[in-house]
Amino acid sequence: MKKYLIILITLFFVTSCNDEIEDLKPFSQGDPSTFFNSVRTFQLGVDGALQQMRLYYEDAGSGLQGIPDILSDNVIISRSGRLSNRDYYEYTYNPNTLGPVSLYFYKAYNSIRTANTVIKQIDNLPAGEDRDNILGQALAIRAYAHFDLARIYAKIPTQSDDANGSLGVAYIKAEDGDTEDELAKPKRETVAANYTEIIEDLEKALTLVGVDNGLERFNKNSINGILSRVYLYNGDYQKAIDAADKVTTKIIKGDKLDDLYTDVTQDGIVFTLAINSATETRNNNVGVLYNQSNDDGVRSEYVIDHEFYNSIPDTDPRKAAMRFVGKWEGNDYNAVKKFLGEAGENNGRVDIKVLRAAEVILNKAEAQYELGKTTEALATLDLLRAERNGGAGAGGETGAALEDAIQFNRRIELAFEGHRFFDIKRRGEDLNRSNKGDLIDGTGTPPVAQTVSAGNFRFQLPIPISERNVNPDFNQNPGY
Amino acid sequence: MRTKFSGILTLFLAFVVQITFAQEKTISGTVTDDKGLPLPGVNVVVRNTANGTQTDFDGNYTIMANRGAVLSFSYVGFETKDSAVQDSDVINVQLVASAAELEEVVIQAFGAKSRTLTTTAISSVAASDVKDLVPSTGIDNMLQGKAAGVQVTAANGRPGQTAYIQIRGIGSLSADTSPLYIVDGIPMDDDNIPNINPNDIENFSILKDAASSALYGSRAANGVVLITTKQGKTGQAKIIFRSSIGSAKRIKDPFDLMNASQKLELERQYAALGVTAAARLPGATASEEERARLISYDTDWEEELLRNSYIQSNSLSISGGSEKFNYFLSLGYDKNSGIIDRIKGYERISTRLNTSYQAKDWLRIGANVAVSRFTDDRPRDRNNVQNPFRGVYDYNPYDPLYSRDDQGNIVLDGFGNPVISPTNTGFPIARAITTEPDTATNLLTLGNLSADITLSENFSNSFKVGVSNRRFNRYQASLGGGVLQQFVGSRKFPGTQRNTQTIDLEFNISNILSYQQTFGDAHNFGASFLVEYFQRTLTSLIAGSRGFPSPDINYQIVAAEPTQADTDREQNAIFGQALLVDYDYDSKYILSGSIRRDGSTRFGPKEKYGYFYSGSAAWNLAKENFLSDSFFNDLKLRVSYGTAGNDNIDEFLYLNLLSFNRTYNGESTALPTIIANPDIKWESQSQLNIGLEFGLWNNRITGAFDYYIKKSDDLLLPRPISATVGGLPAVRDDTDPENIIVSNVGEIENRGFEFGINADIIRNENLKWTVGGTMSIIDNEVKKLVGGQDITSTRTILREGEEINSFFLVRYAGVDPNNGKPLFLDLDGNVTDTYSASNAVLLKGKSPQANLEGGFYTTINYKGFGLRTDFVYKSGNYILNNQRSSTLSPNGINRNQSVDAFNYWKKPGDTGVLPSPLFGATSNQRSDRFLQKGDYIRLRNVTLSYDFPETVLKMLPISGMRIYAQGQNLWTITKYEGDPEIGLGSAETSQPGDDGFVAGAFSQFSYPQVKSYTVGLDIEF
Repeated sequence: MKKYLIILITLFFVTSCNDEIEDLKPFSQGDPSTFFNSVRTFQLGVDGALQQMRLYYEDAGSGLQGIPDILSDNVIISRSGRLSNRDYYEYTYNPNTLGPVSLYFYKAYNSIRTANTVIKQIDNLPAGEDRDNILGQALAIRAYAHFDLARIYAKIPTQSDDANGSLGVAYIKAEDGDTEDELAKPKRETVAANYTEIIEDLEKALTLVGVDNGLERFNKNSINGILSRVYLYNGDYQKAIDAADKVTTKIIKGDKLDDLYTDVTQDGIVFTLAINSATETRNNNVGVLYNQSNDDGVRSEYVIDHEFYNSIPDTDPRKAAMRFVGKWEGNDYNAVKKFLGEAGENNGRVDIKVLRAAEVILNKAEAQYELGKTTEALATLDLLRAERNGGAGAGGETGAALEDAIQFNRRIELAFEGHRFFDIKRRGEDLNRSNKGDLIDGTGTPPVAQTVSAGNFRFQLPIPISERNVNPDFNQNPGY
Repeated sequence: MRTKFSGILTLFLAFVVQITFAQEKTISGTVTDDKGLPLPGVNVVVRNTANGTQTDFDGNYTIMANRGAVLSFSYVGFETKDSAVQDSDVINVQLVASAAELEEVVIQAFGAKSRTLTTTAISSVAASDVKDLVPSTGIDNMLQGKAAGVQVTAANGRPGQTAYIQIRGIGSLSADTSPLYIVDGIPMDDDNIPNINPNDIENFSILKDAASSALYGSRAANGVVLITTKQGKTGQAKIIFRSSIGSAKRIKDPFDLMNASQKLELERQYAALGVTAAARLPGATASEEERARLISYDTDWEEELLRNSYIQSNSLSISGGSEKFNYFLSLGYDKNSGIIDRIKGYERISTRLNTSYQAKDWLRIGANVAVSRFTDDRPRDRNNVQNPFRGVYDYNPYDPLYSRDDQGNIVLDGFGNPVISPTNTGFPIARAITTEPDTATNLLTLGNLSADITLSENFSNSFKVGVSNRRFNRYQASLGGGVLQQFVGSRKFPGTQRNTQTIDLEFNISNILSYQQTFGDAHNFGASFLVEYFQRTLTSLIAGSRGFPSPDINYQIVAAEPTQADTDREQNAIFGQALLVDYDYDSKYILSGSIRRDGSTRFGPKEKYGYFYSGSAAWNLAKENFLSDSFFNDLKLRVSYGTAGNDNIDEFLYLNLLSFNRTYNGESTALPTIIANPDIKWESQSQLNIGLEFGLWNNRITGAFDYYIKKSDDLLLPRPISATVGGLPAVRDDTDPENIIVSNVGEIENRGFEFGINADIIRNENLKWTVGGTMSIIDNEVKKLVGGQDITSTRTILREGEEINSFFLVRYAGVDPNNGKPLFLDLDGNVTDTYSASNAVLLKGKSPQANLEGGFYTTINYKGFGLRTDFVYKSGNYILNNQRSSTLSPNGINRNQSVDAFNYWKKPGDTGVLPSPLFGATSNQRSDRFLQKGDYIRLRNVTLSYDFPETVLKMLPISGMRIYAQGQNLWTITKYEGDPEIGLGSAETSQPGDDGFVAGAFSQFSYPQVKSYTVGLDIEF
C-alpha cells in the first residue's frame, strides 16, 4: 500500500505543474496597451523614439552626423586611416554595401514605429495640455525621421525639376492604419507627397507641443527651426523665413565655439540628440567617424580638405574651432576637432548637434535671397558674420557674390555636422573636390572621385538589398 | 542528506579496506568461447562476495579467492559457468553460447530494450567505439562519421567550442537545429555538453526517426541524442588512470602568403599601374636602403601571433559494486592552451559520482552527481583587426612584431620593454590580446535522483528528478592604457570592465507507470503512462564600471564609477503527458505506438498545446523457420511513422511587448520589441522510416540500411519583413539592422538513405581486423513557403522547389582578356562588366549542405598492438570563401596578399589570370567567384596503441596498461582553398541565433581547425 501511496503523491505533484504553463508572464517587459497610462510613461515612449534616432546619428561607423560630410568636398580620406566608409567617399556604394545604406533605413523606421506606438495609444491620456505635448513630440519625431529618409533615399524637391514627381519613401502613419499589418509591403510614394505629409505632421505638432521640453526633446522652438529647414528644402521660401523668425535661440558667440563642441555650453543649440556620457558609454563614439586618438597620435579617417581649410580667413573663429594638427606615423594632418569628446576627453563621445541657431539664420538668409530680397538676405547673413569676427566674404555683397557668401558661410559654420552633402544635393550643384592630397600641406594622395555631377544617381542612396528582397515593390532608385 | 553521503562514504571505504587487506590466493586463467577464441570482458566474480574482475583483451583474468570459493563466469550471450577453487592456481574456462542469442541492448527513450525488439532507427555508439578518440575535449566532435545519419560540422577550432550536430539533415529552419540531448534520462541544454568529461560516457544512442523520438514530443524534431554515463559493475573496485599530453597547430592553407620582398614588389607593380591605394605604400615609396631594411624584417605573422598549443588530459575513475550497490566515481582535468599566443585557452575540471542502491527488494534508488568547471578565453571572432587570425593574413611581412626606429633597432618603452608595432592596421593585436581580455567560466552542477519501484509482477513505476545549474561568468575588460582604451576610452576614467553572470537553472521531473503482461505463451503486451515537467529559468546579472586605478586590478570595487547594472530573468516550461503501448508475438512480430500531448509557455493561449504520435512495426525474419539454418543471425525489417515538434524559439513571441533596457540621455525609455505573432504555433515534423538490419555469419558482419522521408511543416523561422514596419532588434546594443517576425513559414522535406556496416574480417587468437563505415545520402527541398514568396538572407535563399538555403549570388564570369575587367552575368545571363547586387540569382544545387557524408574506419589488433584509423568525408556542399577572397583583393593592397596575386591581367590576350588590380572596386564584390566546393576526405584520427601482456603486468602491481600515440587531422584531400571544416565563418558576423545564419555558409577568419599529436597512457588497477 505504501508503494501506491508514493506513486499517487508523485503523480499529483507532477500534474500540478500544469498551472505553470498557463500563467507565465514576461518578467522585464511591458504591455503597450496598459503600460502607456500616464504622462510619464508616454514620455518614456517618446524618448524611445529619440533614442532610436540618436542611434543612426551617433553611430561610430556610419553616423548621420558625419557621413554627409564624407560624401562631400569638406573632407578627404586619410590614407593612413582604416579607410572606413571608403565606398561612400568614393561613390561606389551599392544596395549591398554595409553601413549607412541600411542603417538609416532601418533605424529611422524604428524611430517612426516607436512614435506611432505612442500615437496609437494616445487616447489613454485625458485630453489636455499634457496629452497635446506628448502627441506633438511624437508627431515631430515621426516627421523628422521621415524627412531624414526622404532626403537620403530620394530627391529633394529643389534638387531638380523632376524631383517632386520622383520616388519618395513610404510615409507610415498609425492614424491611416499603416501600422496594422506587420506583413505590409508599402510602395514608395512621391517626393511631393512625402514633403506634404512631413510638413503636415510638423505643423500639427507645432500647435500641440509645449515650450519647455528641453533642448534634447522637441518643443515649439525646435519644431520651428526644423520647419525652416524643411520649407527651404521644399522651396517654400516665405514660410522658411517665417518659421526662422519664430526661433528664439541666439547664435553662439564666436569665442565660445570650443565650449560648444566639448559640451561645456549649449549656447546656440536648437535641437540636440543628447547623450549622458557617464552612463551611456558603449558603442556611441560619434567622433570615430573622423578620427581616433591614442598615445601614438591621432589616426584620422577623414581630414579637412586642404583647399577648403585654407580658403577660410584666419580671423574667422570657426577656423580654429574646426581643426587641430593630428600627427600619425610621422605625418601631420588637418584633423577634425568638432567631435573629439567632452572637455578633457578624446573618446569622440559628444551630444549630436542636430540643429543650431546659426543654421536657422542661414536658412533664412538663403530663403530671402531666393525670393530676391537681397538686402534683407545680406542683413541676415551679417547677423551671423558679426558673431564670427566678420566671417568669410568681402561684406556688402550683392547678386551671385551674396549667394556665394551665404553658401560659403554655411559651409564653414556647419562643416562636419552632417549638412554639406544635402546642401549640394538640394541645390542641384555638382560635387567638386579639390585635387589636393590628404597631408597638411596638400600633398599626399588626392581623392579618387573628384567630381560627381549634379545628375548622378548616387545622390540618392540605394534602397538596401534586404528591403528589396522582402518587399520587391519598394522600387530601387534608378541607376543601381 | 548527510547520513546518506556518509553511508556512501562508509561503503566506499569498506571496498578500499577490502582491496588493501584481503589475503587470499591468486587465481588466474583464460576464458574462451566454444570455438576456443579468447573472450574479453567476461565478468569473473567470487560468489557471495563483492569480489570480481573482468577478463582482458586476451581473455585472461586474475582474481584473489580462498580455496573452496566458487568463481562465477558470466558474459552476455553465453551461459554462466561456475567453477570451484581447488589446489590449482589456474582455472581456464570455456563458455557456451546461450540459447538466447547474443543480445545487444539498445538505450532508447525512457529505458533500454533488446536490439531484437526495437522497431525504430536508433544508432548506438558505445564508449569503446570512440575510446581511441577520447583525448578530444568535446564529445560532439567524436560522433562524426560514427553513426549513419548524424552530420557533425565543427563550428571552428576554438577549444571548448561545440560542434553543430544535425540528425538527418535540416529539420528546422530556425537558427538552432541541434538535437535534444538527454543525459541519464534528463534533458540537458546543449550549452552544458562541453562540461561533460568524455571519459565518463558509456554510450551514445541517437534516435533518428520520429517513432523513436516521439516520446520526447515537443522538442524532438531535430532528433535526440541519449547519453548514458558509466555505472559501476559488480565486483572489485576498478581504478583507471588515464593521462595524455599533446600539441596542435593550425592546418596549413593550400596557398602561400607573400614574404616581405614579394609584398613590396606587388605594391610597386600596383602603384606603377596607377592603383591609388598602393601609391603611398612602402613598395612604391621606399628608398633602396629602406627597402632592404624592410625585407630584412620578413615577419612570419603566423609564428608571431600563433603557437603550437599544449594539450593535456588526466582522468581517474574508481568503480565497482556489490549485488545491492554500485558506484562510479571520476575526476578529470583537461587543458588545451589553444593556438593563439599570449592567452591561456581552455581548462576543465570535472567530477562525477554515479551510484545506485537496492534499498528494498521493490525499490532501487539512484543518484548521479556531477560538478564540472571550465574556463576559456573568448578572443574576438570578428572580421576586423581585433581578430588575431585575421592578423595572420593581414599584417604585412615587412612590418616587424616590435617597432623599429629608422636604423632598424627595436624601440623600447620607458621600462625598457620592446614596443609592439601597431603595423599597417594601427591595431597591434599581439598587444590587444592581453589588454582586451575576455574570459568565461562555466560551472555546471548536476544532480539526478531516481527511484524505480516494482509494484507487482506486472506493474512498475519509475520516478526521476534532475536539476542542473550552470553558472556562466564572463569577464570582459578593456584595460586602461591598452590598445582599445587609447582610442575610445575616457581619459578621465581609464579602463572599462564588464562582468556578466548568467545562471541557467533547469529542472526536470518525470514519472512513468508501466504495465507488462504476457498472454498465452508468446503474446507480450506492455503499456506505459508518462508525465513530465520541464522548467528552465535564466537569471542574469551584469555590472560594468570604468576608471581603474591600475590595469592589474580587475575587480570593479576599485573602479571610479559604475556604468552599467542589469538584472534580468527569463523562463520557459513544458508540461507533457504520454501513453506508450507495445506488443510482440514471440519476438517475431513487433508493434508499438505512442501519443504525447505537450504544453509550452512559448506559444499563445490559442496554440499552447501540441499532440505528437507515432506507430512502428518490425518483423524479425531471422526467427522464421525458413531462415533458421541460414547464415543470417539477424534479419529484421522495420517501418515507422511518427510526428515530433519543435518549440525552439524565444519567449513571448506571441505578445506585443515594450522593453525598457535602453536609455536616452541617461533616462529610461519604452521601446516596442520585435514584432509579435499571436498565431505562432508548434513546428511539426513527420517522418516515415523503412529499415533493414542484418547480422551475418555469427554476427561477423552487422549493419543496417535506412530510408526515410522527413517532412517538416509549419516551420518556425524569423521571417524578414519590410523595414518600414520598424521592428527592433531584441538584443541590447545591437545596432545591426534586423526586421523579423517569427512565423510558421512553410514546409521542407529531407529524404535520405543511410547505411552502416561493421565487419570482422579476421578474428583469431592473435589477430583481429575490423573495418566499418557509415554513409548518409541526403536530398532536401523547400516544399512550400508562405504565399510562395522567397525568403532571402545575406548569402542564401529559400525558394519553393529548390534546395534549402541555396546560395543567392551574382555570377562571376571571369576576366575580360581585352582589358582585364572582371565580368559578371546579369539576370538574363548576358555578360556585363558592371557589378550590380540586383543581378544575384539562385545557384541551383549549390548550398552549404552536404548531400553525402560519413566516415569509415579500420582497426587492427595484433598481440596487444592496435592500430586504428578513422576517416571522415563530406561532399556536395559549397562554401563562400571570403578568407581566400581577401588574400587576392587589389583593394586590400595595404594588407598582405597571397603569392598568387602576382598572376593578374597584364596585357590583352591574357587568360587564366586574376582581374586587373585597377578594378579592385568590383572584382571582389560578393559573387560566386569565391564560392567553392567543400568536399573533403580527412584522416580524422590515427591511434597506435600497445596493451601490455599479462606476463609483464604480473611483475607490476597493476592489472592493465596501455600506451598510445595519436594524431588527429593529419591528412586531408580537398580542392577547397582553405580548411573545409567550417561551421562558423565569423561569429560576430553571423552566428546561431542571428537572422539568416546558416552553418558552414562562408569562411571569414574564425578560429581555424588544428592538426594535433598526442601520446598517452592508461593504467588499470
